[in-house]
Amino acid sequence: MVEIASPLGTAFKPGRHGKPDGAPGVIVCERKPATIVQVAAFSGRETAVREALVKAAGLKLNGKPGAGVVNGSRAGFGVAPGRWLIADDKEGLAGSFAKAIAHEDGAVTRLTHGRSVFRIEGPRAEWVLAKLFAVDFSPEAFPVGDAVSTTHHDVFAAIQRVGENAFDLYVFRSFARSFFETLVRAGEEVGCEVKA
Amino acid sequence: MSAHRAPTGGRIDRSKTIAFTVDGKAYAGHPGDTLASALLANGVTLMGRSFKYHRPRGLLGAGDEEPNALFTVLGPGAVREPNIQATRIEIFDGLQVESQNRFPSLSFDVGAINRLAGKLFSAGFYYKTFFGPEWIKGTRVWHVFEWFIRRAAGLGSASAARDPARYERMNAFCDVLVVGAGKAGLAAARDAAEAGKRVILCDSEPPSPAATAEFAAHANVECLPRTTVWGHYDDMTFAAVERVADHLADPPAHLPRHRHWVIRTKEIVVATGAVERPLVFPGNDAPGVMLASAALRYAAEFAVRPGARIVVFANNDTAYAAAAGLAALGSTIAAIVDVRPNPPEAARALAARAGAELIVASAVVSTAGGKALSGVAIAEIGPDGAPGANRRTLSCDCLAMSGGWTPQIQLAAQQGAKPRWDERLHAFHAPDLPSGWSMAGSAAGDFDLDEGLSAYPAPVFEIKAKGKAFVDFQHDVTADDVRLAHCEGYVNVEHMKRYTTLGMATDQGRTANLAGLAIMAEARGLTPPEVGTTRSRPPLVPVSLGAITAERKDDLKPWRLTPMHDWHLENGATMYNAGLWSRPMIYGAPGETIEQAYVREAAAVRSGVGIVDVSTLGKIAVQGPDAPEFLDRVYTNLFSTLAVGKARYGLMLREDGIAYDDGTTWRLGDNDFLMTTTTANAGKVMQQLEYYLDCVWPDLRVILTSVTDEWAGAAVGGPKARDVLAACVSGAKVDDAHLPFMGIVKGEIAGAPVLICRLSFSGELAYEVYSGAGHAAHVWEALMAAGKPFAITPYGLEALGTLRIEKGHVTGAEIDGRTTARDLGLDWMLSKKKSFVGSAMMDREGLFHPDRLRLVGLVSLDDRAINGGSHVVDSLDGEKATQSLGHVTAACFSPALGRYIALALVKNGRERLGQRAFITDPLRGRAGPVEIVHPVFVDPEGKRMHG
Repeated sequence: MVEIASPLGTAFKPGRHGKPDGAPGVIVCERKPATIVQVAAFSGRETAVREALVKAAGLKLNGKPGAGVVNGSRAGFGVAPGRWLIADDKEGLAGSFAKAIAHEDGAVTRLTHGRSVFRIEGPRAEWVLAKLFAVDFSPEAFPVGDAVSTTHHDVFAAIQRVGENAFDLYVFRSFARSFFETLVRAGEEVGCEVKA
Repeated sequence: MSAHRAPTGGRIDRSKTIAFTVDGKAYAGHPGDTLASALLANGVTLMGRSFKYHRPRGLLGAGDEEPNALFTVLGPGAVREPNIQATRIEIFDGLQVESQNRFPSLSFDVGAINRLAGKLFSAGFYYKTFFGPEWIKGTRVWHVFEWFIRRAAGLGSASAARDPARYERMNAFCDVLVVGAGKAGLAAARDAAEAGKRVILCDSEPPSPAATAEFAAHANVECLPRTTVWGHYDDMTFAAVERVADHLADPPAHLPRHRHWVIRTKEIVVATGAVERPLVFPGNDAPGVMLASAALRYAAEFAVRPGARIVVFANNDTAYAAAAGLAALGSTIAAIVDVRPNPPEAARALAARAGAELIVASAVVSTAGGKALSGVAIAEIGPDGAPGANRRTLSCDCLAMSGGWTPQIQLAAQQGAKPRWDERLHAFHAPDLPSGWSMAGSAAGDFDLDEGLSAYPAPVFEIKAKGKAFVDFQHDVTADDVRLAHCEGYVNVEHMKRYTTLGMATDQGRTANLAGLAIMAEARGLTPPEVGTTRSRPPLVPVSLGAITAERKDDLKPWRLTPMHDWHLENGATMYNAGLWSRPMIYGAPGETIEQAYVREAAAVRSGVGIVDVSTLGKIAVQGPDAPEFLDRVYTNLFSTLAVGKARYGLMLREDGIAYDDGTTWRLGDNDFLMTTTTANAGKVMQQLEYYLDCVWPDLRVILTSVTDEWAGAAVGGPKARDVLAACVSGAKVDDAHLPFMGIVKGEIAGAPVLICRLSFSGELAYEVYSGAGHAAHVWEALMAAGKPFAITPYGLEALGTLRIEKGHVTGAEIDGRTTARDLGLDWMLSKKKSFVGSAMMDREGLFHPDRLRLVGLVSLDDRAINGGSHVVDSLDGEKATQSLGHVTAACFSPALGRYIALALVKNGRERLGQRAFITDPLRGRAGPVEIVHPVFVDPEGKRMHG
């Protein structure tokens, strides 16, 4: 199988950026989930689709806006009413969903190539993200598992909190290089470590 | 230690010395000094020249209210930032500043000659000058004046050099925003922090040791020193600017210079303090005349004596406290001059403690000295406030004045509610505040004074003696200017503001507005609250444009790349910005012009095979049981009849029947379509389709997803295209039987799954090869390798455009929001079997008018290039030369025809085929004869692409 190429190309510069001393405020890396898939329910069929997600992937997603879960190698969250984005470090999830979700209930769309995922973690992750997004990243307002769909400079981004100080950022692949450079630049103030 | 600096006290660090220059002259100061305090400590009193009259000016204030001492900060490189208050510049080693508005030097300024022409520069100067006297009209005299006026106008000059600093934006959320870290602000922050609320505490000043110590252990308090909250917007949103690195000698590259904060809060406490008002009397702008509170602050915080011998002039008690404080810090207080006949006992006690002679019922009526104060003249004033004839002179080098206090309520007044007048304070309070708002400290009129003292002043704003008495120091607006505005009919405060420019300077009239409106009120025979105030608007303080732009420019503008971007660069592509996308324009060979390159590339497609990156096309997954019905409604032609594994060209109209967008849609399964749109309209089409589903047909079971970035595309076109695919595709046959025109197959190229659709934009035998974007560069390289034996040629947008012009295919240049399907020759696509978006409106009478612009081709008859945008006319002579028949939408040199050709929209164009016309482009000086022809120049029967 041909490996999926990183969209970063020459923009991927591993190592320390910005503030040179002290522990890095943030660590940034490109996550490369083997599967990114969107599951969407037709109006009135949300419950049936959510049940299918539990059955097919063990992901319990409630209907609240932005609600999500992180379950080992798998993570999922709502990106719009009746619409969820699910990432898995293993392949095959899209096929499982396609079988589990009836045509009358919803649709499964493969987006593994179309979305790029960056993880930012570290004690200053909230600070750095707050430079880019008008979102309250405090743990009270944004608990682990939850997500928001928002934009930076017209770049659509879906952001999920995957740990106390860790967030996964999903952006359209064509914007990935531009967004990554902006993210690293924002992190320079606190010392940004770019890792593979 | 200088004679002006006390040996102890203040918040400065005497153990270190800082060297800085003003106009190239070296000075020394200490950490903790502002430029203002350091210059005062060096005995400098002259710090600026006034705007219109070039009068010498010194410090009036010690904070944001300072109107006079404005400097241009130099560096790095050629960068110059003008109009920075000396009170806001924290000095550092190597700081270089320049004084402003003077020539040749601050000390000797020839512009001071303007003082002789005082009347000429009175209120309404620009208005009157623009109208001009009658004898000027029709002459060139105005141009001479204009040159001088433009040269003289403005304060300081910015540089055109690129600002290398970085700026950032920050979004913040909190429960309580406290603005001002004085006593009241700290108390409010403390209360909120102890209640467990998230607090942001902003203060314009450098970090206060009290705040730093108190909140160090509070994780729920964010202290933002050097941060001014300057704007209030809807839903409790506030804008602030943080000066992160202005005070650093050598700021590290990773620090922004300024940071623009957008703070969303549930509650706000405004503890912005109050500004002391100057009194308006002749000579009140002389260097050495300053606010009493500022004089005390320089002495207390910076250990700088503002004068060796100080006279205090006041209409209230607070100046007495300042006098006592100044005396305690080592200054001699020669006298306290009070307009009131009977100051209270507590004030008299302070005067005695200061060792000052108390002179009551009197006022300062003039000042003496040029660049430094040498004395003041005082006179008794009568019950009507007018000074008597007898004068007494007091020798002094500093006059500390206090005309009362103005609470800083601008933030609370920005949303338009009317401030409330306080008859005792003679100032406005914040308007009635909505929930979530509170004012604290002197901003709320609470002045925390010693027993027996009051901040309430006598109602005296102006001492009416002969001479220029300034109201707005920075804009050189005098009391007489305000009265002149009244005489000339500009009596409303908003009109007065604009006519005199009072309150319009960078200090926003902090020290000026109230006196100005009080003088206007008196002129009108009204009270100040009847006259009202001008509207407060953001920003409250000057804000750098860099902070607001905040890294949304240059290399940090968002841009989109296709997966083949690096390949294009490595292979000599000249890139072109198409919207946010970066696309190859040409792959120029050394020495080739753009035209030579695209002609070579397009010719290679017609004769052999070419490959172009079409990943930017909009792609929308249309899924669901009702997807066929949905497509039937949004396209003019039928899609429900399309077989799985087939594609069809589709046209969308707007609801008014005008063409909207076009593209092919591929049926990948019964309920699964892949729609393509033009690159430019991808977002618009997606939004429109979502609107239909959400609002117009919510019952349809359809899911739309943007998959533009999921699929990358390479279009392989030309007589040898099939040979290239046959050489590299596995798992599918690509011969005509298995992959006919508009057919789709799934296969693999070099191990990567691909979708191949046989369709053509160039008019040649052509295929679009789609792969997952992460595989696309791999697939592209495999196609290049397979095409090598056939001399496959990568081509860019110019050749793509050339091929489509030759073929007469339309794009956004023709689908321009005005043309119909019939105008474009696409009436064959309008289904008669169904209704669709736009079908109800597309047959309106006007849309059939013979004069409508219709798509035609043009051939240049003088063998010269046709410019896009040229007009088409019947004749180059006479009236017809200016009567446009239409315009050129796209033009190129056609390698297939060996001629310069174009597509154009021409009135009744289809009836003009074969006729001669002219193109004219007066802007670029091009005109010439053309022949109007059918828009399909190459292979009108379609044999090549169907072959």
